[in-house]
Amino acid sequence: MHLLEKKMKPQPISLKMLNVVSVLLFLAALGMVFLYAPLEVTMNYVQKIFYFHIATGWVGMLGFLAAAAAGVLYLVKHDQKWDIIELAAVEISLVFFFITIVAGSIWARPTWGAYWTWEPRLTTAAILEMVYIAYLLLRQGIDDSDRRARFSAVYTLIGAISVPITFMSIRLFRTIHPVVIGTNSSATTGSFDMTSKMLVTMFFALFTFSVIFVNLFWHRIRLGQLAEQVEELKLEELQ
Amino acid sequence: MSNIRLTARQKTSSRFFGAVGAIIWKDLAAELRSRELLSAMLVFALLVTLIFNFALDLDPGTRRVATPGILWATFAFAGTLGLNRSMAVEKDRGCLDGLLLAPVDRSAIYFGKTISNLAFMLIVEVVVLPVYSVLYNMNLFNTGLIVVILLGSIGYIAVGTLLSSMAVQTRTRDVLLPILLFPVVIPILIAAVKASSGFLQGLALTEVMPYINLLIVYDLIFIAAAYMVFDYVVEE
Amino acid sequence: MLNEVVSKNYMIAGYVVILSVLALYLASLIIRWHNLKRELQTIKEFQKKAPQ
Repeated sequence: MHLLEKKMKPQPISLKMLNVVSVLLFLAALGMVFLYAPLEVTMNYVQKIFYFHIATGWVGMLGFLAAAAAGVLYLVKHDQKWDIIELAAVEISLVFFFITIVAGSIWARPTWGAYWTWEPRLTTAAILEMVYIAYLLLRQGIDDSDRRARFSAVYTLIGAISVPITFMSIRLFRTIHPVVIGTNSSATTGSFDMTSKMLVTMFFALFTFSVIFVNLFWHRIRLGQLAEQVEELKLEELQ
Repeated sequence: MSNIRLTARQKTSSRFFGAVGAIIWKDLAAELRSRELLSAMLVFALLVTLIFNFALDLDPGTRRVATPGILWATFAFAGTLGLNRSMAVEKDRGCLDGLLLAPVDRSAIYFGKTISNLAFMLIVEVVVLPVYSVLYNMNLFNTGLIVVILLGSIGYIAVGTLLSSMAVQTRTRDVLLPILLFPVVIPILIAAVKASSGFLQGLALTEVMPYINLLIVYDLIFIAAAYMVFDYVVEE
Repeated sequence: MLNEVVSKNYMIAGYVVILSVLALYLASLIIRWHNLKRELQTIKEFQKKAPQ
């Protein structure tokens, strides 16, 4: 079947349903955060940022692992679809981690007095963002789709190995030289006592963002497939 | 008479080491004649040292503490320069294509380039250390420091050679290498600076060992990873 | 205990950021999809005019 005739399928029913489910879950999560979860004792309202901050962080990690797996699968199987999946995972993970970092900074300011601290998780997240951006810049510089897919997969692998090592290095660095942050209350270590209602809200937020991730992931893959189709057609035209 | 005949396996491995040796020899010999790469790296490294002198106008005490960081920043930047040039020359002169046509394992190219890149980086470091010692009246001739510099450079170049092989094949080329390399090489920088600092301050070996271990682990993991993955980077 | 008003403001700022970033990403997906559809359309028309 000629490329032109191969139409991009409209959203399957399951995807449309997923869209609706995501929106509903998101609204429900917001509801739980603001109406159900109790007010925290030391930090007051700002603690409520934590629910979505943690959720996007954990789910961002999922994306990171998905990207690494897709990279390996591409190198092994040479099927272009893994490249599309890898790019989608990287992009969405990038967005989620960005939310994690910025929300975390906004939470940190009133709590610790500074927007940023060089603590292991935060610093590693920032470095991960740099790896992702480098990944996107790498892709931008290659026109040949096969080479682009190969190089991207290789870089994903290198990044996937180095980021955990980076995290451990910074932790090693910090245990020997602890960061001096203002006060030493439990708030500075980022922990606070969570009541059961808070825990429920937290897990619900986690679940919600996992669903949102899958939803966005699916859409991004479809976008990638359409982009691939257009690119192939353009190449055909040039011949 | 029959002990002259090599087994097929021995022939392949001798071809492999032969290829690696040939690449190293080619790079070193070419550099000996033109001295382009080394002079560029050396001048650059010394200029960076100079810039740090004015950028961080430090009193002697603080300078002592900042020295490992300044040294490693210098090495990282000069290293990038060397990696870029080394690969660019390979590609532009068509040497890379020639090497790929040779009936030898692709990883021989990787090891050959890595070792010659490492040689250049070490030469630069060997020059920068005494110059720095003289300029700032510090004794940098410390065995521990030299070990750290060796281990750190190995890891840096192992990853750098792989990534520069990719970068040189893109449109953005030179600019891309530092962007790809630096986020991934941070464990080396952390461990190398801390270990260097430990040795220069004369800390107990037990305090420095975690960082040395980190360097060794990083080196092993990434040499293995780069070796496994290099084929994908140079196939046509 | 953190000042209530200050705390509330930071919380609002945080959620505004979270929602904006998500919305912006969604918008970028939609915009990119439409752009690609339009490109596809252009190519189709081009093909019709100059059949090979």
